[in-house]
Amino acid sequence: MTSIAPIAAATPEPGRPSPSGTGARGRSKFGRSERRLAAMMLSPAMLLIALVAAYPIAYAVWLSLNEYSVRVPGLQRFAGADNYQAAFSGGFWGALGNTLLFTVVSVSLEVVIGLGMALAMHSAFRGRGMLRAVVLVPWATITAVTAITWRSIFEPGLGFAPQLLDKVGIGGDVVWLGERGYAMSVLILADVWKTAPFMALLLLAGLQVIPSDVYEAAKVDGATPWQRFRRITIPLLMPALLVALIFRTLDALRIFDLPAVLTDGTNGTQVLSLLAYQELTQNRLIGLGAALSVLTFAVVMLVSFLYIRFVGGNINTLTEEER
Amino acid sequence: MRRSTTLLRATAMVVASAAIAAGCGGGSSGGSSSGGGGGSAPDTKRVPAGDTKPTGDISVCMGKDTSGIHGPLLKKFNAANPGANATLVELPESADEQRTQLVQRLRAKSKECDVLALDVVWTAEFAAQGWLADASDIVDKRKDEFIPSTLDTARYDDKYFAVPFNSNAGFIYYRTDQAPDGVPKTWQDLYAKAATTKGLTYQGSRYEGLTVHFLELLYSAGGDVLDKDGTKSTADSDTTRKVLQFMVDGVKDGAVPKATLTYKEEEARRAFESGAVTFMRNWPYAYSLGQSAPAIKGKFEVAPFPSFGDAEAASVLGGYNLAVSQYSDNAAGAAAVINYLTAMDAQVTYAEGATPPVLEAAYDEASVKKALPFASTLHDSIAQGRSRPVSPVYPQISEAISTNVYAALAGEKSVDAAVKAMDGDITKALGTF
Repeated sequence: MTSIAPIAAATPEPGRPSPSGTGARGRSKFGRSERRLAAMMLSPAMLLIALVAAYPIAYAVWLSLNEYSVRVPGLQRFAGADNYQAAFSGGFWGALGNTLLFTVVSVSLEVVIGLGMALAMHSAFRGRGMLRAVVLVPWATITAVTAITWRSIFEPGLGFAPQLLDKVGIGGDVVWLGERGYAMSVLILADVWKTAPFMALLLLAGLQVIPSDVYEAAKVDGATPWQRFRRITIPLLMPALLVALIFRTLDALRIFDLPAVLTDGTNGTQVLSLLAYQELTQNRLIGLGAALSVLTFAVVMLVSFLYIRFVGGNINTLTEEER
Repeated sequence: MRRSTTLLRATAMVVASAAIAAGCGGGSSGGSSSGGGGGSAPDTKRVPAGDTKPTGDISVCMGKDTSGIHGPLLKKFNAANPGANATLVELPESADEQRTQLVQRLRAKSKECDVLALDVVWTAEFAAQGWLADASDIVDKRKDEFIPSTLDTARYDDKYFAVPFNSNAGFIYYRTDQAPDGVPKTWQDLYAKAATTKGLTYQGSRYEGLTVHFLELLYSAGGDVLDKDGTKSTADSDTTRKVLQFMVDGVKDGAVPKATLTYKEEEARRAFESGAVTFMRNWPYAYSLGQSAPAIKGKFEVAPFPSFGDAEAASVLGGYNLAVSQYSDNAAGAAAVINYLTAMDAQVTYAEGATPPVLEAAYDEASVKKALPFASTLHDSIAQGRSRPVSPVYPQISEAISTNVYAALAGEKSVDAAVKAMDGDITKALGTF
């Protein structure tokens, strides 16, 4: 198990005979030219990354350091950290809290439900193919459309959910999308409904690569179904699970469409990307909107980093153990 | 192998998160740093009165032609004016989307649009950005034709930057079977009546609609959120407190169903059409739709807004204005099209398609009265109508109002705290660079 090296150091160096620094002094001409070749071959990819990632990021950062007048056309001024200050004293922290709450709860639920669905789909029974197709329908539906559907379902007086929930003693005469807490739970419900199948599909792929002879051997050794699940399925599923987790977490952190359609950010559902959007398009505060985008970017980067730092290593170890 | 996978994964994540930052920033980037005109006002083009014979191409950018009236009218214009070719550029149906698309074009100094159809609240904002040509010559010549209140929405900095095109004002819809006496004279009595029937609903979601309704009550109570010059907030007043307290009590007492806090126009309309409420504040469009709703068909009527206490009744104007783009190469042609679309013939055609006209005389036409059975009520509502705050930072002012009114209605802020916050937010908005 190696710790994760910085990106630059992780670049493969095929010309180097040994992994340690001993060969550094004796760098051959051959090694150097090969390194140059590698650089040349990598350059189109690097250029592409610079164009689609580095430049927009740098531009967003530049925008966030300036103020653009909404009164006088073309007027702008350097604002330093003013926009960030405005973001911190404005809605940033609230939106961050809501985003994190949404992410943690919805992704956890999706993992549990997705795993259950994957296990069900993995076991052999009649109509399995049919089930697999049907399960994917929520995932295949456009998010904005599902959001509109959920809004109608929870519409007071007309939607069926409030009455149904009232019958089992939940909510009473609550206006689901109009009250703090309840609105967030609808948001999470809609997200889980939509993306649990995606999670299930990724996990199903993970389940399918687990060789069945491992289970047979365990059975012969007298392992109970729970032991087999706990000691075989979970560890061998871990790489797929972690990849799915990363995908879903980053997805959830930039949630936009569900709150935009369901609540427009009211009642404790204001999230980061919606806030940035509103400042940018409705209020035309380009600097503040850019600052919020940059902060969202920083949050996503931080979470990605944590995943790579603490979980990414595990994936590699696990994959190796598997071999 | 292991290291390169890590690299790959790291890169993928950087790109993925970059897309988020870029996606958010990208929409607004166009041309924000160009121009560089400093603090001085831009040279505003002056539109001719439109008496000359129009020639050349004229493109008219407006929202989707859902009623199918704009297209045929422009065809008639072309037939009457050989040498001119007016075409319709359809923008999305929703006002927010239209605004986004227009802003993008104008920021890029696009010549695509000669005539712009602007929601009344955008006019000041667009004029301040130097995007609109001065249309005072058109308006000054025809001032007497228009309902005076509609002209206020087109004025900014003592000039007319647009010509009223169609108007709109809210009504109280009421169930004639549940409230046979109609709508009481004051909001107070209306709320009292609502509490004993199935209630009053309005657009209570946190958005522009709530700002409009709050201003309807505030204006009618004699209050305002800006001073005469539009440079100072006057929101922190006893009148504001009184009005907001009134609205909060209405929700608390059950005169206004709690679900109203999630309603925009369509949700309110559906609630009224299902028979769930007795009174509804909504725009004229719900009238003809209501006539085909089985639960309320023939059982409802409309009335203009009541007054707040002893004060005069007031409504808040909606609707669209027509303006000439500063970047148009054919201002004379654009002026001719605007004159055509705002003349009696076209306005009557629009009214027959249920779009409220802006000309006084149009409301007396027999065909209009037939198409809009509530024509005289509508005329009175528009005539008592007032503009929303005219300011280049109107979007922020509106947000300051709707956010804080909503917080008070939802019980998240006390009335006093909400009013103070509203005043502070408006002051902050007015101080925007």
